[in-house]
Amino acid sequence: MGPRWKGKDSEARALAEPMSEIVQQLQSCLIHSKTRGLLLGCSVLLGAGADCMDLLIRACFGQPIITAEKDKQWFELSLEESFYLFHSLRCLEIAGEDKRLKNEDEIWQYIISKKPAFPYFYKAYSHLRDKNWVVRSGFQYGVDFVAYHYHPALVHSEYAILVLSEGSDDVNGRLNVWSDLKCMVRLCGSVVKTLLVLRINRSDGYLAVSPLCLEKCNVEEYTITRWNPEQCREEKTINKRTGFLFMCSVCRMVSRACNNNAKMRVGDVKYQEEIAQDNGQRHNADPEEEKEKLEKLKF
Amino acid sequence: MTITLIEESFATHTDGLSVLETKQIRPITGIVEIEDLTSSSDGMSDLEVTSEELNDEELQYTSGSIPKLQFRKDTSKARWNAEMGMAKVIEKNGKMWITIGIVRRGKLYCTIEETLFLAEIGAHHLLDVGDTTLFLKDLYEKVAEGKSGCCWETFKVYRHLKSLGYIVGRYGVPWTMKSNNGCNSALQGTTKTSAVSDIYLPNSKFRKSPPGDPSFMLYVTRAYPPSRNEIEELERKCNGIPLKFSHVDHG
Repeated sequence: MGPRWKGKDSEARALAEPMSEIVQQLQSCLIHSKTRGLLLGCSVLLGAGADCMDLLIRACFGQPIITAEKDKQWFELSLEESFYLFHSLRCLEIAGEDKRLKNEDEIWQYIISKKPAFPYFYKAYSHLRDKNWVVRSGFQYGVDFVAYHYHPALVHSEYAILVLSEGSDDVNGRLNVWSDLKCMVRLCGSVVKTLLVLRINRSDGYLAVSPLCLEKCNVEEYTITRWNPEQCREEKTINKRTGFLFMCSVCRMVSRACNNNAKMRVGDVKYQEEIAQDNGQRHNADPEEEKEKLEKLKF
Repeated sequence: MTITLIEESFATHTDGLSVLETKQIRPITGIVEIEDLTSSSDGMSDLEVTSEELNDEELQYTSGSIPKLQFRKDTSKARWNAEMGMAKVIEKNGKMWITIGIVRRGKLYCTIEETLFLAEIGAHHLLDVGDTTLFLKDLYEKVAEGKSGCCWETFKVYRHLKSLGYIVGRYGVPWTMKSNNGCNSALQGTTKTSAVSDIYLPNSKFRKSPPGDPSFMLYVTRAYPPSRNEIEELERKCNGIPLKFSHVDHG
């Protein structure tokens, strides 16, 4: 399933203005304006001037709060979004209820106290954002996130994302029974999304100790889709009711190189199309060929 | 994309929703009615989008499209009292005060959530003790401090329901009190955070004295759905009034 664009010109607009460039501009703008956020419950609020406001919207961080205040536009950001701006992009400062700026450990401890499973969700969020996906809450669909190729105003979300962790301290308790799996696959089918599971694997220790732990874990991606044997016997598919058999395909998507030493912001839209198209063949891909392909897409 | 702006005393509209249409509001709360997201057909085939498009994802703004609220009637004026955790209304304008604010010894006070809501829509001008203007930033910081009896999540629920025309009061805080007896304790009760609210359906004939029983009570849940014990305990508090639960999503 490829991206479903809204309107005729949307894809061209996305190609003309890659998300990576918009995010870079946002990063510069926030640094320049020394914008600071306010920790408020499980959100961060920030008041943006005209320049930053425009870039926050285009890069799709936060939700604007509609107010009567004229000189500032208030945005509400999730913990993942604000920590991404603070920790990964290093362009946002964050203050607490005492109006004092908090350092990284203080922010981390605050967030963990509100959301103990945050490290896993953040790892998943930043993993996708680093690859220029636009990531938003999946609350409406009963998933953790939804991922868009580009700005949600121009394209429908393609993936519904669940975050799982390895081991007995599974943070989400999802997909442990067939009924949940079947429910999710059915739901995703109904809303034309692919269920994407991001499994966060830690190499040592629990992730919550400090943000440094984030560097030590990796992300496995795989999609789960329903496979209907009745429809796959011939070239043309026939829509018939299945029996009570439920079969699914689990497609492992080998993660593109997104190591911490060199965050590549490659050609966004085309790059993501490549992933979507060849996700079934990823595990057989020749690494040298992959690297070559990747080099060509860089800009 | 166009959005209808809040103009004036929304509380007087009997249809309850004359302002932001439900489908245009970002669904930040999930009140316990489960939408039927599956298609009506029993077939297992993947159908094209139907219900998704109607309530699709979130309300998406593009650059330049964020509306600004403009309150048309004369704005009111209030002064914040840090000790009480409330604002005392100094100048009262507009019909919104029929459904906002509590009356104590003939004076009108509003809670932090009411104060912040009115400030966001530009309905009142808020002052500090020294007559300095308090801006939204100052009010958000007060909510963050957590000393005024309302946390951010509870405020979001309040704002969402008020925008739709519902009348929202804090559980256990009377709308009016004439006598001095128990007055101080009633005011002090406003600084403790309570997750329960009394909700009345939009009603142009609402009166603070007496307001009658609420249409339902609302409990703002935290990270997990309520346990059976919690539900039973809340139902006991509700005394026969219907109970709803809300959950606030972030991001």
